Amino acid sequence: MDFRQSDEHLMLREAVSAIASKFGHEYYVAKARADERTEELWNAVAEPGFLGVSVPEEYGGGGGGITELALVAEELAAAGCPLLIMVVSPAICATIIAKFGTDAQKQRWLPRFATGELKMAFAITEPDAGSNSHNLSLTAAKDGDIYRLNGTKYYISGVDEAEAILVVTRSGVDPDTGRGRLSLFVVDTDTPGLEKQVLPVEITAPEKQFTLFFDNVEVEADRLVGAEGEGLRQVFFGLNPERILSASLANGISRYALEKASAYAGEREVWGTPIGRHQGISHPLAKAKIEVELARVMTDKAAWLCDFDGDSPAAGEVANMAKYAAAEATLAALDQAIQTHGGNGMSSEYGLADLWGMARLLRIAPVSREMILNFVAQHSLGLPKSY
Amino acid sequence: MNVVVCVKQIPDPAAPPSLDPGTNNLIRAGKLILDDSDAYGVEMALQLVDKAGEGEVTLVSMTPNGETSGLRTALAMGAAKAILISDDSLAGTDALGTAKVLAAAIKRAEPDLILAATESTDGYTGTTPVQIAEILGLPSVTFAKKVEIDGGSLKVERQTEAGYDEVESPLPALVTVTAGVVEPRYPSFKGIMAAKSKPVETLTIADLGIDAGQVGAIGARQEITDVSASEERASGEIVVDEGDAHQRVIQFLEQLKVL
Repeated sequence: MDFRQSDEHLMLREAVSAIASKFGHEYYVAKARADERTEELWNAVAEPGFLGVSVPEEYGGGGGGITELALVAEELAAAGCPLLIMVVSPAICATIIAKFGTDAQKQRWLPRFATGELKMAFAITEPDAGSNSHNLSLTAAKDGDIYRLNGTKYYISGVDEAEAILVVTRSGVDPDTGRGRLSLFVVDTDTPGLEKQVLPVEITAPEKQFTLFFDNVEVEADRLVGAEGEGLRQVFFGLNPERILSASLANGISRYALEKASAYAGEREVWGTPIGRHQGISHPLAKAKIEVELARVMTDKAAWLCDFDGDSPAAGEVANMAKYAAAEATLAALDQAIQTHGGNGMSSEYGLADLWGMARLLRIAPVSREMILNFVAQHSLGLPKSY
Repeated sequence: MNVVVCVKQIPDPAAPPSLDPGTNNLIRAGKLILDDSDAYGVEMALQLVDKAGEGEVTLVSMTPNGETSGLRTALAMGAAKAILISDDSLAGTDALGTAKVLAAAIKRAEPDLILAATESTDGYTGTTPVQIAEILGLPSVTFAKKVEIDGGSLKVERQTEAGYDEVESPLPALVTVTAGVVEPRYPSFKGIMAAKSKPVETLTIADLGIDAGQVGAIGARQEITDVSASEERASGEIVVDEGDAHQRVIQFLEQLKVL
């Protein structure tokens, strides 16, 4: 076992960090508040190939894995720029297309994932299905050479910046179980019949959330990704990267918050001594640091399993645990960083409180704390199924 | 067009290392990084080779303990290979001794052009590059802010206090580049992954035919006799505005005779 960072990973971290630091949290917040996109940052990270690290080499990507992609996302977040779109576009969509797409589909989309030119949103969540993906109601009905999509999705991130959306649909019913059979389609965001409505949320992030209404949206058969009816199994290959990248965002936010808090506690003097000398300040920060580092180790393990043993049950189990640990750790770290700053913790200038929405979101999405606890109780501990 | 870039691997300036109390030499144990000031030479070399459409960039470095992590950064940027001279008998080598060693290694690469920084970020003597040129019998042009190759000859804009000189020189030649010459690229992901498998030839001074008596502490003609902390800057005057701040600022500037 070797826990040292490889020279390659260190160099990758340094390069991403150097680029992201030129932009920084102020840039990120200004873009989010002005309803603008972080194009300059995205392009700067894309140019050396850092957004395509996990795309296979034959399609112009870096030929790395989720390990490298997670590291890029963490460094961006640690520089104050947690990009939600990284979780959906390169992590979920590119991974699923690389694994299940036809040669023509891979040729069509992967080279542009590799350069970062293509952003793809991912639509699974529905108002009436919640975490129960078997219960999805957005239907895809075959009609001659095409499919017709009807239904609603919500909490879909970054649709306005995406060229297309990978949509999880119900294309039939299993006659034995009565459960929906799912199929995946790539739908262009400008397809007629697709209405996109901003869903306002209290998260300061450049990516907006959307409700999508599909009204008889026509999709060509060559947009079906993988086998018809096999969507659920296929989606799971994208969901582990989604959990891992979410953990990386959380870990990056934690590092950002703890760095700010330690700097402040080391400098801020009240009654003639730095406040960081008081154990009331230093111990909670030290505790947060330990929890963050534990979450980072689990995230590394999850990424490694995803890359090298992706079909094993452990890959899903550890990805879930990493996401749980990282989300809990980032809320504790950010909360303590704000507390350390006193009143300044709530000021816009110190750039901490505006991250609360994002950190809090990560306890809920992409899979809630409670669903992970259900999973661990049932699969890791062998307790009776609750639902 | 083959370009050699002299690169120095130094202790990370963000975590200041200590000096050997006996010799006042910098302790270079542990991980070393690419001197930031050398990234400009590497970038310049990559651009010149790219423009020429043929040739490659070779790095030359002298480091204790066979350390290569700084070289890997420059290889990740795009340099093709590296020559590393690492030899226990080089401990305590002065600037001239370093120039002798680097010159012998550079000779093996038979370059059309040699690039170096104007000075290193840890030693700051700024003498090694021109000593290399002298040893190799090549022309040297220092403080370049622009470098071009035009039909086999070298054109340099050389930074001066008054502006810049336009200098032309035949090749091969040695040029030292300033931090303004080009903006160094970030290593690409493919570059980072490829760096590991690029050749690094590690040589001893015996491989270069250099006698141990000429280098190291024994061969050094330079000695660091004393090191002292730089004088602390006097604290500035704080003007608290009591309605007359503008007058006091003007008074202060008048004292300095800038008004």
